[in-house]
Amino acid sequence: MSYTPVQLLENWILRQASDAGQAWLDTQREAVATGDLKSLYMSFGFAPRKVGKADLQLTERDLNDAAEARPGWMPHTWTIDQAARVLLLMSLPSEDDAAFYATLEKLFQTAEIREQICLYQALQLLPHQELFDDRLCDGTRTNVKSIFESIAHNNPLPMELMSEQSWNQMVLKALFIGAALDPIEGLDRRVNPELARMLIDFAHERRAAKRPIPVELWRVAAPFADEIALEDMKALYASGEQLEQSAIALALVSTASDEADVILKTNPEIAKRAENGEITWREIAQQAY
Amino acid sequence: MKFIDPHIHVTSRTTDDYEAMAAAGVAAIIEPAFWLGQPRTNVGSFQDYFSSLVGFEKFRAAQFGIRHYCTIGLNSKEANNEALAEQVMEIMPLFLAKENVVAVGEIGFDDMTALEEKYLRLQLEMAKEVDLPVLIHTPHRNKKQGTYRSMDIIEEHEIPPHLVVIDHNNEETCEEVLRRGYWAAFTIYPKTKMGNERMVEIVKKYGPERIIVDSSADWGVSDPLAVPKTGNLMLERGVPEEHVELTCYKNALAAYSPSGQFEESDWLDPEPIDQRTLFEGNSVLRGGQAPRVDKPEDDRIIQ
Ligand SMILES: [Zn+2]
Repeated sequence: MSYTPVQLLENWILRQASDAGQAWLDTQREAVATGDLKSLYMSFGFAPRKVGKADLQLTERDLNDAAEARPGWMPHTWTIDQAARVLLLMSLPSEDDAAFYATLEKLFQTAEIREQICLYQALQLLPHQELFDDRLCDGTRTNVKSIFESIAHNNPLPMELMSEQSWNQMVLKALFIGAALDPIEGLDRRVNPELARMLIDFAHERRAAKRPIPVELWRVAAPFADEIALEDMKALYASGEQLEQSAIALALVSTASDEADVILKTNPEIAKRAENGEITWREIAQQAY
Repeated sequence: MKFIDPHIHVTSRTTDDYEAMAAAGVAAIIEPAFWLGQPRTNVGSFQDYFSSLVGFEKFRAAQFGIRHYCTIGLNSKEANNEALAEQVMEIMPLFLAKENVVAVGEIGFDDMTALEEKYLRLQLEMAKEVDLPVLIHTPHRNKKQGTYRSMDIIEEHEIPPHLVVIDHNNEETCEEVLRRGYWAAFTIYPKTKMGNERMVEIVKKYGPERIIVDSSADWGVSDPLAVPKTGNLMLERGVPEEHVELTCYKNALAAYSPSGQFEESDWLDPEPIDQRTLFEGNSVLRGGQAPRVDKPEDDRIIQ
């Protein structure tokens, strides 16, 4: 049996919210459904006070249901107020796309940090997503890492909506600010030569500044590595830290080029573990941050 | 000793100030929405200003181990631009429910015009609607009249005095403010409003009940350490420690806690680090108290 996102959010809130919080939310959703913007603005703000701020307690099955209801939806970091706020947004009339867009923009422009995180995660479930590609790019220019991550991580919209240029900037910025690459949906699918060049330049800048090169970089850069980049990888593979060696091995294994094979042979032990799937990007990301 | 500065305009201050405040024991601050020194010409400026109070500034303060709260309101000077004031009133519902908003304020009188009174009254009604305390700014000129008139109006709107802080008091106004049951706040602002030696005398004379000390530090010549400096001066001049605690910490806590958004546990016992809401500075809050101050050994080297 499959569910809609609305049904799932309702169920999850039902499990955790108080009766009073539940009743409040129902009333507010009805008001918002009539197009009452003042109710939307106030209830959007008051949601955490009414239903609480706890993390949603989601099971493996809930997460599977979510992915089935909306491909790419990964709500494992969501909180109960976030779920309530998204239900409020989903109650808003949306036939008039310009009006819907204007209301959402108003909320974006006036949102505090937690609200922005919620809004960027909410878009994937809302109508007229195609209108928000500029908003997504704009959001990635933030100074606040958690807001950046609400767009870049566990969110299918960048992969679906962003131009190549914006996508590339987002991936590069993730490395700059120390946000993991692994939770970026579509990361391997949207690899491109221009992005690889940007990352390799970045690796060289880091080397010049005597700063460590983020290990996940090689996952995206390796498929298009130039000679200098291969030299860097070879050097790190020989004498880097264990995490670096693992990452390089994994990156080289997936490129399956002759040059990659030559480097891999210099440390067959790690190469074998990478080939057998004993090393994964998820584990590398978890260890790196 | 821990301090709360319940009235400071930190958007105008530097990170050095934040470091010094944290080092001096300031654990929490309230930033009332106010005048930027020049009039705003359109509602967008208000919107962005309010957004910074509920968003970026709260985040910036957290990086230095300081909990930031704010109040939202249309200030008295700008209430005199009626077309703009109407638009500001329209966007206020977008902000009053934000998580760090602890009052409607600072509102009140500047020139004591009819428009100032109109928007004071409208905002008092708004505070009732959203169940928030009120922070009243009393005028620089004609202060006594302005203060008394503000209290008369609040009483007409039937807002109980324990939900109202009357700020920028002096020796002339505080007796009546206290007599009527309001919180009486004092701004330690050099040269103009109140010096801290005078403040010590006031606490000695009136006692610590319902008296609140703040800095109002902003873009003018002012001191972001005014609260800890005053607290320490009180101790030095023989004011009992409990009285210092009340006037420089506990009274502010009691005055703004009816908002439901201002709780001591926020800073004494902070929630576990939430990677979703903090940026880089999360190590500042870990363990809660001691802010990390990374000073290079050699100031000439820039790494
Ligand atoms: Zn002020």
